[in-house]
Amino acid sequence: MADNFSPDSEPTTRTLLRRVLDTADPRTPRRARSTRSGAQRDLLETPSTRRQRSQTKMTARRRSHTAASVDRLARVQASGHLEEQTPRTLLKNIILTAPESSIVKPEAVVKLVPSPQVVQPSRRESSRGSLELQLPELEPPTTLAPGLLAPGRRKQRLRLSEFQQGMDWGHLSQEPRENADASSLTSSLNLTFAMPLQPQSVKRPGLARRPPTRRVVDVGTFLQDLRDTSLAVAPPGESHRTPVATVPTDTVLEDTQPFSQPLAGHSPSVHHSLPCPSPSGAKEVEGPASRRTWSSGPGLQNNHSGPGKPAQLLARKVEEVEALAVGFPNISSISGEDGVEPLQNGVGEEAEESMEKSMSVREVEKAAEEQGSARAEEPEGHTEVAEAAGSLGAIEAKEPEGSSEDEDPSASPKLAPSTPEFLRTRRLQSPEPAPPPSTAVLPSELPKRLSARIPPRPRIPGSRPRQDPYKAGLNHYAKLFSFYAKMPMEKKAVEMVEKCLDKYFQHLCDDLEVFAAHAGRKTVSPEDLELLLRRQGLVTDQVSLHVLVERHLPLEYRQLLIPCAFSGNSVFPTQ
Amino acid sequence: MIRRKAPLGFLKRVFKRQKPHLRLKTSSDLLVHLNCLLFVHRLAEESRINACGSKCGIIKKEHVLAAAKVILKKSRG
Repeated sequence: MADNFSPDSEPTTRTLLRRVLDTADPRTPRRARSTRSGAQRDLLETPSTRRQRSQTKMTARRRSHTAASVDRLARVQASGHLEEQTPRTLLKNIILTAPESSIVKPEAVVKLVPSPQVVQPSRRESSRGSLELQLPELEPPTTLAPGLLAPGRRKQRLRLSEFQQGMDWGHLSQEPRENADASSLTSSLNLTFAMPLQPQSVKRPGLARRPPTRRVVDVGTFLQDLRDTSLAVAPPGESHRTPVATVPTDTVLEDTQPFSQPLAGHSPSVHHSLPCPSPSGAKEVEGPASRRTWSSGPGLQNNHSGPGKPAQLLARKVEEVEALAVGFPNISSISGEDGVEPLQNGVGEEAEESMEKSMSVREVEKAAEEQGSARAEEPEGHTEVAEAAGSLGAIEAKEPEGSSEDEDPSASPKLAPSTPEFLRTRRLQSPEPAPPPSTAVLPSELPKRLSARIPPRPRIPGSRPRQDPYKAGLNHYAKLFSFYAKMPMEKKAVEMVEKCLDKYFQHLCDDLEVFAAHAGRKTVSPEDLELLLRRQGLVTDQVSLHVLVERHLPLEYRQLLIPCAFSGNSVFPTQ
Repeated sequence: MIRRKAPLGFLKRVFKRQKPHLRLKTSSDLLVHLNCLLFVHRLAEESRINACGSKCGIIKKEHVLAAAKVILKKSRG
């Protein structure tokens, strides 16, 4: 390879870095790639050559690895990013590849500096090795090479420390800036570089993973925002009613009408069961006008089922909000406004209290909902829903919507005061069914235990063995039948199978008797069985008995049936 | 899962019941069991084919009956 740097007498790390930096163009955006790549290749090659020269104990494989890695690096760099071939990029790669931060102290780093250069070639990270070799290579590495091959991690740490050292010398001042984007390591290096005077003392603060910044939910601000947005959206809600094409508007339309009723009395129920109560509520309050939106509501709900429950919740809440917002004028027109307004006020108070409860739910919904329009409506929905739902709604919101949906249609007909009761009763009902069955079980268990204590001894034991073991055996094969069939079976079919088995056994015994008699024996032997299988068509010239045995019998039986040769010139079972 | 143990005692008892004057060798016990397995296997296959042929998801008595007719004739030996 090119021995460009050979004329330089023992270039120090500093000089090497200087050379690298000088050759590398700091801001070359894909220009002169070839030139730079060539320079880099030279740079890479020289360290490799030097490495080979200096390391006497390096194995040929390592050298080949390094050479291959060097070539690979050059190719990768040339083929990969546009600015890859700069020493800066090399350093970046080194930093990227370098694992943990170098916690090594400066003194230790200095001592270990020569070792890494020897070990680097084995690392296959030519980029790292090349540059780092440049740095410490000039020092006598041979002696230290073998001993330090084992601690791989330490090498990497050392390399970084080397970088830090180099930084001290001010050569790598430019590198960190480019490496900052590479990884945390680079960021750490950046930090170290920022403090050139203390490269080793820095404990890699940049490497520490930043804890995920979590925005603490400010309930007060959230409520305020909701109110503001709701107020802002209330007027536009009416305008939304006319366009029916957009889905969010549909939801708004639906909500407007249904919410008129919820305000009157269904507000608490509306919240938790978003889709059902709102349409049902709308029906009652706003006759034909609500039906228009209400019909679209269920359809919308169906559409929303796709996105998922959070989306549904959001949509429904939006609907509710819109319904509330738009329903007010309708309500006023259709039903008494007085009832609505005081309800709203009361609901508003409840809303704040329940806001916190439902906050988590809404937040989740908010996160899930990605529709911009829905988002705009969400704040309104939240405020409106909170107002409408009230405390009950907040509690119910977390319940499964399905259950609530089922209950809502029935609950909707009732007025507001009745709905809470219904909800309460519904909730009570769910735990109620559980206890009654358990109580029913208990009394039945008692008599059973009593009867169990008195086993049925007066039975005649004589007649039992005939049927039971025979049935048990047949049962065994019947289970095998159902297993082989891989399909559900009727009980009658199982009985039928048992009958067939019975007939089969009879045939079997008769045949075996005939075969044994034909052979002049009174004992059925395996030969008779093989003949039987052959006559049945199970054993053919293609399929032998042993094949069938291997297929269907477990190992223990196979060993007994198939003669196998063992040590000592013995065959088992003996033929 | 189906237990893999062969009900040898059951088989011996059945054979003894049927043919008391005959004896059964040790190895033939297992082969009888193998024969039963193969018979049941064929029966199940045929029953399943019948059930699927009649577009039933469940094996019914008729399917088993029809299958048994065919398989017993085959296993006549």
